[in-house]
Order: sequence, then structure tokens, then C-alpha cells
Amino acid sequence: MGRKWIYWYEELSGAHNDLVGKKCANLGEMTALGMKVPPGFAISVDGYERFMEESGAGEEIRRYVHDNRNHLNQVGKQVEASRAIRAYIEAKPMPEAMKTELYRHYADLCRRVGTDEVSVAVRSSGAVSMPGQMETYLNVSGTDRLARKVVQVWGSAFTTRAIAYRLEKGMQMEKAPIGVAVLKMVNAKCAGVCLTVLPTTGDTSKVVVEGNWGLGESVVSGEITPDQFIVDKEIGAYECTLGEKNKMVCYSSTGTCVADVPDEMRCKPCLDETELYEIVRISKDVEAHFELPQDMEWVLDCDLPFPDNLFWVQTRPAKYSKPKHNESEYLAELMTRVFRM
Amino acid sequence: MKMYDVVPGLEFDPERDLEQSPAWFLDATHSVPPWTPMFGWFWVNFCRHGMQWGAEKLSLPTVKGWDWRFMRGGGYLTLLLVKSEEEKRRREVEFRKAILPFIQDYDGLWGGFIKEILGRYDNLKSLDIDTASNIELLDNFEETIDTCRRMWEIHMYMMYGTYTAYILFENMCRDLAGIDDTSPLFHQVVSGFDNKVFQVDKRLWEFSQRAARDQLDRIILDTEPGRIREQLESDGTGKAFMNDFMEFMNEDGWRMQRMSEINLPTWVEDPAPALGMVKQFLQKGGGFNLDEERGKLTEKREQAEKEILAKVPAEQKGWFEQLMRLAQKSGVFSEEHDHYLDLYTHAMMRRSALGLGRRFTKLGAIDDPEDVFFLMPDEIRRAGISPDQFDLRYIVERRKAEWEEWQKEPNPPAILKDGFDLDQAMGVLVQSNDPIALKVVVGSMPQVRPELKADLYGTCGSPGVAEGTARVIMTEDELHLVQEGDILVAASTSPSWTPVFSMIQGVVVDRGASLSHAAIVGREYGIPVVMNVFEGTAKIKSGQRIKVDANLGTVYILDK
Repeated sequence: MGRKWIYWYEELSGAHNDLVGKKCANLGEMTALGMKVPPGFAISVDGYERFMEESGAGEEIRRYVHDNRNHLNQVGKQVEASRAIRAYIEAKPMPEAMKTELYRHYADLCRRVGTDEVSVAVRSSGAVSMPGQMETYLNVSGTDRLARKVVQVWGSAFTTRAIAYRLEKGMQMEKAPIGVAVLKMVNAKCAGVCLTVLPTTGDTSKVVVEGNWGLGESVVSGEITPDQFIVDKEIGAYECTLGEKNKMVCYSSTGTCVADVPDEMRCKPCLDETELYEIVRISKDVEAHFELPQDMEWVLDCDLPFPDNLFWVQTRPAKYSKPKHNESEYLAELMTRVFRM
Repeated sequence: MKMYDVVPGLEFDPERDLEQSPAWFLDATHSVPPWTPMFGWFWVNFCRHGMQWGAEKLSLPTVKGWDWRFMRGGGYLTLLLVKSEEEKRRREVEFRKAILPFIQDYDGLWGGFIKEILGRYDNLKSLDIDTASNIELLDNFEETIDTCRRMWEIHMYMMYGTYTAYILFENMCRDLAGIDDTSPLFHQVVSGFDNKVFQVDKRLWEFSQRAARDQLDRIILDTEPGRIREQLESDGTGKAFMNDFMEFMNEDGWRMQRMSEINLPTWVEDPAPALGMVKQFLQKGGGFNLDEERGKLTEKREQAEKEILAKVPAEQKGWFEQLMRLAQKSGVFSEEHDHYLDLYTHAMMRRSALGLGRRFTKLGAIDDPEDVFFLMPDEIRRAGISPDQFDLRYIVERRKAEWEEWQKEPNPPAILKDGFDLDQAMGVLVQSNDPIALKVVVGSMPQVRPELKADLYGTCGSPGVAEGTARVIMTEDELHLVQEGDILVAASTSPSWTPVFSMIQGVVVDRGASLSHAAIVGREYGIPVVMNVFEGTAKIKSGQRIKVDANLGTVYILDK
């Protein structure tokens, strides 16, 4: 038995960034805050390193990088390196001892949610922000497919962009601290984002909730015009702008696909007031905890009753335009004139 | 007989102080009736310190805060004006930077101060004053002094900053949109906000609902407020009710019955005033009308915001809207700071001082715990560690006799140098451009319009028209006389008066400006408020029918 390398989210917190990567640490922090996240577990950086060591992939990568060290600054060679290294990794089965442990956790997860062969999402969770490390596999079920996808996520630490980035930053090529998040797929009725600040004006007195039918990808990618609700944090009054929701993202047998929204649902708001207020209530608590405006992703499951069906998959500091500096200074100048009357 | 100064270094000295400034004004809102010596010591020292600290931190261009003196239980104040134009210019440069936190992160600023001061209170409250050692009690008192000092720093820094924004907003509404602070549109745009004081009122209303559900309403309705607690605690349901009520008091009941004095119990010691409000809610029946009212006001406010913004040129909208939001927050601050700052700190002062008072009594330094309010901190320090070694009774005796004398003859409203009159003195106040002087003390002067044939002319604190029975109330002790549908007539109002606003139809006050308590609360309840009528309490008698038209600023006495 080696070191522990798989963790339930309730065992983690924001402090475990280096252990399981940002996404998993964040899910742990959210769990600790009492936010419901989809059930699942995190694979730590130790899991990655153990795989590299025991499977022999690590040695092959080291050798490859050593042999090609003089050419790796060329873009063409980086593309080649990415292809070669990912092939080394993906060709290796997960060592049996690791498989046993992974399968045991998967079986526990199936028991927890009461489904055999539960469908999960397998997502990368980097410990440092690194572009290109965003590989995600949706709708994965069964132990063998799970093990294969976990290995593929590990391989995604070697995309061309990731290699170029590591070279540029002078980071070691063959090391890639990467965690993996395994999460139950939510059977989404509707999903979307929630910002606790108006991103265009920096107005922190409002919460913006955007949503569409189906999975959240359609909202996050910006491909459709979602429903938008702007809610006043203090008094709860809100404005609703309905989007023309003609497309939505659904599961398919191998992942996800885009489907047409049935006519009668296109102009119907995807959230009712109770659901909206629950989203806003939690977002305000989370914002208060982090003392920073948050950018969050939510999903409403159609199998569970409200409010148990509200899941959160992400929360991070929101990016927004701060009220303009020169306008503040102009205002300060005007205030000075109050004393000149 | 040696008589020690109550506020050493700051007792009024006619000869020297009139030399320094030709006009000293009595703070009639806070120091009538005259303060106990201990409270006077705290107020004059630290309100004075806070104003100068706030003015200096913000580098207010024209004023360095106020100077205060103590005379016969009264607080007398004068402005500290910046003397040269050159210094004003220099202070303007600093002010421009110092005011930025208000513009860029108001919520963070005020939220941070609330957190800081509540932390101090928690620390003070963590000492069990009955079992503490003498040294711990004395330390707690010293920390209370320090907390009071810090409270006034936050208080005045915030007040100067927010009021400056509010004044600018009024000016800009006038210059850019053509509406002034007596216009209903202006009042709509600054109302419809919740605040801590209203939240406490709502909790009291919720307790009235619970009392009805638990069938305790009869007991409460049939009992004098002072005996409600005892009556309730005589049976099981009532006991459970009182348990929860006292838990609420421990959270939000750290306030004084009188706004600026510490010789009456806090709500935590004696919940009678709070239970009296529960009783009033039961008598009145119905919902918590502030919630319904606020929904309507919020709608009106949003409409008014749109209307005002439509009048502002597009390229000016950005900062104007920012300023509008800040002015709206100023109104909320103006109302709720009393809860977090003055009232709570005063409750802490009473708690700590009484802890010492009880110990001193037990060990023989004084006769009665409440006598401690006739001592000032240096005298408390004299006996603090070993109260059994000292007899402070002779100081208490002299002070008490003196205090009783102060009550007999009211302090003069102003002390003026020979040859200087009140109009000149008021002129100095206005010229200072001191935001607090303008928004709280002076206000705008009413316009007398003979064609309206009104009996009194004032300014608009909150728009609307009402007709009803006048109820002249001079002190908080008379508040229970207010009846449903009355029009309240008072010199001014304070946060402990808020609950009666749910019963009345309108308000007339002698003095006040758009950030005075009566105006803010009147706007939230959507009732007309006419202010700065000067002679309302003198001319109107309780029981007379009167009509107020706040939009025009007029008051008519219908049955003379």
C-alpha cells in the first residue's frame, strides 16, 4: 500500500491546492461551506506521480525529453513531443494495485448515489494555472472506461500549449502536478452561471443569474442567449430578460451533444422564483465567506426534489470592470467643491 | 470646599473661551436635560476628539472639526475653521485622495468598521463583571474608555464622508436635473432601504405575532410594560417566550432608553421599553407595514432614479449614478450608525461603570452602585484597585448636589461674546461648509409664502399630505401617549422614536435637515414630514386638528 491518493471532497479544503489541484480543492472548500457539490472524489498529484513511476511512463518521458532537449524550442518539435508523450502515457494501463483502489472508490460512489455504474465527469485539476490543461470527459461509466479516462486526463498535462508554457517558464518538462476530479454527472434540468457583481459596471449590489435548459456548457460557452435575472442583493427585487433558448446541451452515449429545445420551452423561464432566490441566497453566503464577488456555476437536477437538486460545480473570484478610476477621481474633485460654496 | 472639575481641561471658561471663539452653541439634542458628570466626561472628551480626528483624516478643506466645552451638564460647541486660503488649498489636495475609499469601496469601509467595533464590544462583554477581580474590572473600564474614543473616531469620519457625498448629490440634482432637496422626487430616490434599526423593529413585530400564536397576547395587552416580563415568566409558555426574547435582547438590546445618557437601564437589564413596543404592535394589529411600504417605495425609487437619470447628460451619467448610490447609502448610515455606534457603546459604558459601581458599593467606597455616574474616570482610578481603602462619598455628594442644581435652570442655547448676535453666529456655521453643521444642525431655511396662508412654514423632510390630530411630544417618556393616526409634533426625534412612526400619519419638527432622523424614517414609512418650522411645539397643542402639506412645507392649525 502506497500513500493515500484518492480523497472524498469532504476530506478536502481550499488549503489542499497543491495536493489535488485547484478545482478539487475548490470543490472541497465548497463542501466545507455547506454548498452541495455533485458527489465524487479527487485523485491527488501523488496518484499521477505513482502512475508515472510504476507504469514506466515517467522514465520514457525523461528519456524522450533528454534525447530531444536541443530541439524542443521549435514549435513543430513541441507538437511532435506532445503527440509522442501522450501516446506513451495513454498506452500504459493503470497498474493493478492502483486500479483496485480506484474501483473501490467508484463502487463506494455508486453505493452513495444508489446507482450501478454511475455516469461521472472526469476533469483535470491543475495545481498551478496552466493553459491547455482543461481536458474533460463527460458521461463516463464503468470501471474500465473510468480508469482509461483518468489516464487520458493525466496525458492532457502534455498538450502542445502546456509543453510550450513549461518551457517558457523554465519549469521541468517531465513533471506536471495534476489532479483529477471525478464527479457524478448531474441529470440537468437547467444550469448556468451566477455572478455576485454586475461584470460590466462593477455594481456589487446585484447578483446576475444566467441559465438555459440542459447542461451548463451552452451558457458558459456563450453560444446561446440564456435567460438573465438581475437580482438586488438587499431587497430581492429582480429584472428578468428571457433569452430565446433554441439550443441546449444534453448527454449522448459518448459525451454531450447539442439538441433543439422543444418549442413550448423556448420562451419559458428556465428558473422559477423559488429556485432563483435559493441560488441567490447561497451565492451571497459564499461571497460573504470569501469577501470577494464570486463567479459560480450551478445545476438543477431533474431527478431530485427542490432544494436538494441544486448543485454547485464551481466558484471562483469574479472578473469584472472595477468602477472607473478617473470617474472616482472626478467625483472626489466635485466633492472638494462642496467646501468652496 | 474643593470641587473637582468634571471634564478637566475642557470646562467652559468665559474669559478665555470667548476670546478663542465668539459663539458657543448648546448641543440641545444631546445635552438637555443636563448630563450626569460621567456621561458628560465621555461625550465632551471623545465626541470632540472624533470630530477633529474625522475632519483631519479626511483633510476637510474648510473645517478642522468642532471644539467642545462642558458647562453645567451641557455640551457647548464651536467650529474650528481653517484660517488661511493657502491652507484650504493644501487641504483640498489631500481631501481628494482621502475621500476615495468612500467612492470606491463604501461597503468594505463601513462593513470593516462594523466588524471592528462589534469585536471590541464582544471583548468587553466577555468579562463577567460579577465575578471579575478589581483589577479586571478596572481594565475593562479602561478598555471601555478606549472603545468610546475609537467609536467616535469611526462615527465622525464616516459621518463627514457620507454627508459630503449627500450634499454634493443634492447640489447635483439641483444643478443637473433641476430638483432640490425639498422636492418629492428627491426624497423618493433616497428611500426604500432596509437598515439595522428597522430590522430590530421587525424582530419586535415578529415577537408580537408569536405572542398572539402562543396566546400570550392578553397578558401583554392587559399589563403595564414594566410588569410584562414578570407576568409572562409566571407560566411555561410565557417563560419560553421570555427566554427567546432575552436572547434577542442580548443580541440587539445593547442600547439605551435615552439616546445620550447612561443613567437609565439598557434593554438587556430592563426589557420593559422593548416589551412596550411588542404591546404597541399587538394593539395596532395587522402586518409589519414597513415591509409593504418598502415594496412600494422601492418601486417608486426605481422610477425616480430613471426619471432623474434621464435628466442627466449621457456623458455625466457614470459618476452621477455612482454619486447617487453613495448618497443613498449615506441615508442608511445616518439611520443605522446609532445602533452600532452611539447606543451600543453607551450600553457598554453603563455595563462597565455599573460593574465598578457595584464593587465600590460592596467595599464601602460609595453608597449606591448608580452613584458611580457622579464620578469621573480619574476618581474611579483613585479607588479602582482597592476600593476598600477609599471613601468617595464626599465627591458623589457634592456632584449630586451640583447636578440637581443644573436640572433646575436650563442652560442658555448659546453663549455669545458681547456685541455678537445669534444671526452672525449662525452665519459662521453656514460659512464653514461643515457637512454635519449643514445637514443636522442648521438645515435649509423655510420660505414664508403668505399666499398659502399657513400657520407655520417649514421645509420638506418627506413628501406627502396628511390631516389628523396633533400630538405634541417633548421627551421619549411621553411616547406612549401617541395614538394611531396622530400627527407627531416634536422638537426633533431620535432612533428610539422609530416604532411610533408605524402609527402616525405625519410629523412636524422644530429643527432638522434632510439627514435628520425624522426625515429619513418618515421617508421609509411614506409619511409627510415638515421640518425646521422652529415654533411647532410652541404653537401647536395636543388634540388640535392640523393639516400638513410637506410638498409645500406648510402646516395649518384647523381648530384654533
